[in-house]
Amino acid sequence: MENIWYVWQESWAIRAFLASSMVGIMCGVLGAFIVLRNMSLIGDALAHAILPGVVVAFILVGQTAIGLFTGAVAASLITAVIITWIQQKVNTKNDAAIGIVFTAMFSLGVIGISSINRKPGVHLDLKDFLFGNILGVSTEDLYLILIVLIYVLASVVLLYRYFFATTFQPIIARTMGISVQTVHYFLMLLLAFSVVASLRTVGVILVVAMLITPASTALLLSKRLERIVVISALFGLISATLGLFIAIVLDTTPGPAMALVATLFYFLAVMFAPEKGLVWKATRKRQLKRRIRWEDFMKTTYRLQEENELNLSVLSEKMSYTQAQTQRHVQTLRSNGFFEKEKLLLSEKGKNTAQQLIRAHRLWETYLVEHLGLSQDQIHEEAEQIEHFLTDDLLDEVDQRLGYPTKDPHGSPIPSRTALTISQLPVAQKAIITHEQISNIVTAKLWDLGLMPDVPISLKQKVNGCFEVEQEHRIVTIPNELASAVSVKRFYDDEAVNQVP
Amino acid sequence: MGSIVIDIKELSVSYEQERVLSNIFLTLESGYIYGVIGPNGAGKSTLFKAILGLITHDVGSIRIMGESIEKKRKEVVYVPQKNDIDLSFPATVMDVVLMGRYPHKKVLQRLNASDKALALKALEEMGIADLKDRQIGELSGGQQQRAFIARALCQAPEIFLLDEPFVGVDITTENKIIEILKEMAAKGKTVLIVHHDLSTVEDYFDKIIMINQRVVAVGDTLTTFTDENIARTFQSQAPLLHKISRLGV
Repeated sequence: MENIWYVWQESWAIRAFLASSMVGIMCGVLGAFIVLRNMSLIGDALAHAILPGVVVAFILVGQTAIGLFTGAVAASLITAVIITWIQQKVNTKNDAAIGIVFTAMFSLGVIGISSINRKPGVHLDLKDFLFGNILGVSTEDLYLILIVLIYVLASVVLLYRYFFATTFQPIIARTMGISVQTVHYFLMLLLAFSVVASLRTVGVILVVAMLITPASTALLLSKRLERIVVISALFGLISATLGLFIAIVLDTTPGPAMALVATLFYFLAVMFAPEKGLVWKATRKRQLKRRIRWEDFMKTTYRLQEENELNLSVLSEKMSYTQAQTQRHVQTLRSNGFFEKEKLLLSEKGKNTAQQLIRAHRLWETYLVEHLGLSQDQIHEEAEQIEHFLTDDLLDEVDQRLGYPTKDPHGSPIPSRTALTISQLPVAQKAIITHEQISNIVTAKLWDLGLMPDVPISLKQKVNGCFEVEQEHRIVTIPNELASAVSVKRFYDDEAVNQVP
Repeated sequence: MGSIVIDIKELSVSYEQERVLSNIFLTLESGYIYGVIGPNGAGKSTLFKAILGLITHDVGSIRIMGESIEKKRKEVVYVPQKNDIDLSFPATVMDVVLMGRYPHKKVLQRLNASDKALALKALEEMGIADLKDRQIGELSGGQQQRAFIARALCQAPEIFLLDEPFVGVDITTENKIIEILKEMAAKGKTVLIVHHDLSTVEDYFDKIIMINQRVVAVGDTLTTFTDENIARTFQSQAPLLHKISRLGV
């Protein structure tokens, strides 16, 4: 292992490291757009198609970095043009057109290389092109890669909004006077440059991995294109350098090692990405199921408690649990504060949860009967499912539309909403401070601030944990603790209109 | 009321030899909301695309405020049908609304704080300022449409072209959108809406354009939106449709 560290003093290793870093960043940045525009296959095609260009350049000018670069880019662009021509003029499917053209170009290149090699004194190694030859990176190569990197980065930064608009909504981009076609060809040009610049590092077969894998990883991790481009560049950089390191340690080819490292990150993101990852989704599903189970359990307990019939055996029977299962449930809920300590009784918090669930259930039933005209025997099952998913905002709106009913269609009372506080209001929402506050201290503090009950307030904004509200054209700043203690009722302008006789 | 903002003469459009619009003459004035009414395949969306220069026309001319569309891109905003959008795209509501500033920028000019302020103002007007950092696909249908209308407002154009903006949108949002558009018309802007709900035509539009591959009727809604014109526009299916819509009123 020791000589691993000595390796880094060798100039070829430093050049290899620099080349990989730059290629990783370049492919990562460009890849984000390639993936979003469904151009992954085009990336692969342009890479494979550079071979005949390399052969022609070699015949014409011999083995110079600039010569090979020019030949490769030319071949790439010719391929892009032929593919586009077929897609537009010939009745062949788009991906088939790509496949036909690039395999033909690739085959031409392979035959060309083997026939050149038959001449005495000439050696072009096909393997170098297929999988890269990073240990042979020359200083000239490094400069070329650097120029391409700067070109790609500058283009993406300066022309970001053109890339964004044409990728997201090409039609809108056109109505804004952006030439979608020009942006497309420009991107193809950048792609061709990048693919050729990556030749030494990963080779034509695997360059597509550097383009699409880090970008796909980034797409799982963020919802904003700007961030995705940066994250993708980062994963490109890490995959390329870590891959190179591993390849040197294990004495194997760097290209495949880089591709595998990139894939490993992708796999980790598939599993563990927040929101989009499988583990995250499964956890969410489990939490949801648990919440529904808890809520149903508390609702049943609440009903029995109200009827003074609550004991372990009745509760177990109603829930179809064994008594041990019921005990376990009560324990867990108690540790979360939903049950009284050492008693089989719901705490205030538990009662509240149950009441809100019953409110949701009964309001929904009322809504189904009054607005959708369903009959009473159709509605219970429906409400039983949906009661767990109705948000407070939606319920408030339903409540308002129904004219704040007190009884559901079966004649059972609908519990009222739990107190809403200023801290729970959305920005711009109007509300009224209620007369009853949880303590006289809150009432006194409101008095000090000059905030009156019964006069509408509106929440202007939330800044640094404080809440700015406006009452009668006066702005008052309320600290967070107070805001979460002041109970309010939502206020809608049309209510006031309705009240005018 | 206003000056002529869209002047279409002798316009004909074909898709692969099939005529979609023929011999269209339309003179649209500023300060009005126009409803574009017609059956499926009548060429309503095609008319918009022709005005926007997205498709070539066989014959005829379209002048936007006296010029070709290419010179007036800034002044014309297009809100396409909602199903044309990739909802998984990594764009926030703010990103989308900021697009409205693109036509005002020179090639390498970057968006600045005043662009952001305008975008925020448009979001506030549509009542979704608190959603500005959400990804567009996470919004409900109505909220998405509010975001796209906010983008249109942010562009501050003279002419609004909206293709079925009320499809898949809740009633509160529909009311909000029409209220804002009426405000725009009152400020002298011109609004064109492709619309299919005949029951709301009289409430929404000052004037209507009834087309079925050609212009059947155009004029003030009160005098133009007659049973006879509806029948001519929708041919056989129409009287029934209109009766149904009247039942709903």
